Amino acid sequence: MTTTIQETDERFIAVLSGELDTAAAEQTSQALQPLLDSKGKEIVLDCTDLEYISSSGLRVLLSILKQAKSVGSRVVLKNVNEVIRDVLDISGFISIFEME
Amino acid sequence: MNSSLKSSISRVGIIVIAAVMVEVISIIQYQRLRGLMEEEMSGRSHMAFAALADRIQYTLDKTELTMQENMWNVMRSMAHPDSVFSALAHLVDDNPDVVGGCLAFSPYYYPSKGRLFEPYVCKGPDGSLEVKQLAGPDHDYTQNEEYQWVLNHKEPNWTDPYSFESDTLTYATYSYPLMDTKGRILAICGLDIDLSWLGNLLNTRQPFASTFSFLLTPEGDFVTGPPESRTPRAEVELAVAIANGLLPASEHPDLLMRKTALHKDPYWQVVQVYKASEVFEKMKRMRHQQMLLILLGLAILAFMIHRYARNEQKLQKASEEQARISGELSVARRIQEEMLPKSFPADIYGSLEPAREVGGDLYDFYQRDGKLFFCIGDVSGKGVPSAMLMSVIHSLFRVLSQKTEDPSRILKVLNQELCRGNDSNMFVTFFAGCLDLYTGKLHYANAGHDKPYLLGDAPTQLAAKSNLPLGVFPDTEFEPQECTLSPGAMLFLYTDGLTEAKNSRREAFGRLRVQQVLTDCLANSRMTPESMVHSISDAAHRFAEDAPQSDDLTMLLIRYLPGELFKQQITLVNERSEVEKLGAFVKDFCSSLELDRKSSAHLRLALEEAVVNVINYAYPKGEKGSIDIYADSNRKEVRFTIVDSGVPFDPTAAISADTTLDAQNRPIGGLGILLTRKLADSVSYCRKGDKNVLTITKSIQ
Repeated sequence: MTTTIQETDERFIAVLSGELDTAAAEQTSQALQPLLDSKGKEIVLDCTDLEYISSSGLRVLLSILKQAKSVGSRVVLKNVNEVIRDVLDISGFISIFEME
Repeated sequence: MNSSLKSSISRVGIIVIAAVMVEVISIIQYQRLRGLMEEEMSGRSHMAFAALADRIQYTLDKTELTMQENMWNVMRSMAHPDSVFSALAHLVDDNPDVVGGCLAFSPYYYPSKGRLFEPYVCKGPDGSLEVKQLAGPDHDYTQNEEYQWVLNHKEPNWTDPYSFESDTLTYATYSYPLMDTKGRILAICGLDIDLSWLGNLLNTRQPFASTFSFLLTPEGDFVTGPPESRTPRAEVELAVAIANGLLPASEHPDLLMRKTALHKDPYWQVVQVYKASEVFEKMKRMRHQQMLLILLGLAILAFMIHRYARNEQKLQKASEEQARISGELSVARRIQEEMLPKSFPADIYGSLEPAREVGGDLYDFYQRDGKLFFCIGDVSGKGVPSAMLMSVIHSLFRVLSQKTEDPSRILKVLNQELCRGNDSNMFVTFFAGCLDLYTGKLHYANAGHDKPYLLGDAPTQLAAKSNLPLGVFPDTEFEPQECTLSPGAMLFLYTDGLTEAKNSRREAFGRLRVQQVLTDCLANSRMTPESMVHSISDAAHRFAEDAPQSDDLTMLLIRYLPGELFKQQITLVNERSEVEKLGAFVKDFCSSLELDRKSSAHLRLALEEAVVNVINYAYPKGEKGSIDIYADSNRKEVRFTIVDSGVPFDPTAAISADTTLDAQNRPIGGLGILLTRKLADSVSYCRKGDKNVLTITKSIQ
């Protein structure tokens, strides 16, 4: 699981690639720490290469979303594959994240 | 008004009408009989009367003949007045009917005798003859009507009958003119005959004691009748008066009369009198007796009809009740049938034929967590009570087998439940098993049921302990037993309705025949569980012939055909980092099954969430523990079994996260088990010994 973050003027773009399972969740959570201080910028999570996500991974995403919402930012999930979409669907997360 | 009252009134009505009709018929018959009887009587009296007429005629003719025969002698004696007496005496004596005779000479015939001379001879009661000369100053016979009539007509004549006050006898006189050659009347000879015997004769042969007959002249004068010893004089006089129309007949309806007239001189009439009361009394009595008998018969008939109708009503009620019960029973039967498994997988077949509408046998099977749970049982007795208990057991089996995979445990709880308040002392033989479809491991326990047959190369009985049936003692222990079925092996379960199926000679089908049929079936490799059950059932029915089925007949046949099996196992420690190994394990297993990426990811997630749950919560913080994970598949289904030795913890009982809350209110936990549940087909937990066992299955077809 690798995570890279690019910051532009308008947004943070985090590229998630690999499998966000329980084992990887803590490390990913650490890697995405900068997003918790988004300064009102939009957050785009690029899931193009994200192959798998477990509930721990969803928790990481949820904590980012909660933080962003509290400062009035949006979080957008980009290029979510079918497997991940299913998980978002089952967990109900699909209704609280914006998808692109 | 209820219908039964109505119908009983109508029945009474019918009886009354019948009684009235019988009465009418009886009256008509009586009248006809009476008519017939009168006709008969009339005929009889006609015959009697004809004889009588002959007798009268004979008497009169004989008198006339006597006169003619003696005329010459009398004429000759007339030469001397004194010899007349002897001639007369001879004449009178000549005919026993003649009681007296006289010769009334024309006036001055014998100048010496004066103007009138009438010698007379009569018979005394002892037959002696008495001689008299009747003419005198107080007896001038020339004034006599009869004398004058004969004088004028110059021919003989009979007087009407007459009688004297002095005796009760009736007389008639035959007057005969004696003339000279010039036709001058010399004297008139009179012969008196007694007619009293006529009355006696007339009444000697009467059909009834009160019946009597008398003779009347054409003018209605009484000639002779019954002797007083037979009928009182007053009664005869009353009848004469009525016959002559002096008294109205309507005032004496009891007196019936019949008149018949002689058809030649003296044209007398015979009147027969009889009393209706006597003549028809017997008939009336007979009629009344008959009526009484008929009425009695009708009463008995009415009673019988009443009883019959009541019984009929009872029968109808009973048959309605019967129909209701059988209707309800057929519903009960349907309910019972619906409780049984309706569709059979290729390798299982069951059949239940109740002896009555509903039965006390049961069988059941269902699949859970890659395991086949099954049972067969036989409730003591038959019919409704057994069926009710059977339903209870069936439901309890379903519920209990959800909680445990140990058949002996199921039996123990079932037994305790059945013993509770089992006042009717019913018991149940029961066999329960749990077959692991991936390993062929069969766990089973028996409660007094017939040992199932294990069908490998040949039928052998499963080495099941007998144990007591369910419902006998609450503390009975049922030993858990196990064995392993090799692929292709079969298990044949049955109730004693099969081995004890009897033919008309009371012979039982028996275990040997069952084994023979099973052996025959095994010899045919194309036999399926369904066709085997059918051929066993057919064999039992063929054996029983027409004998009625005495017990429920239940069979269950299970074939263990696992097909191609896939197995993998991994042991992890309770650390999150182990999840990586788990992921690789699942991916590896799924690729051996050639599953697509999505299915594989779903399975991986379901398993990961479950295992993370164990890692997080099964062992106290800081304590090391291991987690065994078994993966099994037969290409149709995947089963993961997660076993840990941690504290008892049932993740399926935990509350799942609410997926409808918005982002701010979403709790961080609770998602894991939700994902497992949603992604798998079934998730079930049980505690086996000191281990938590969580089973996850998912169809991959």
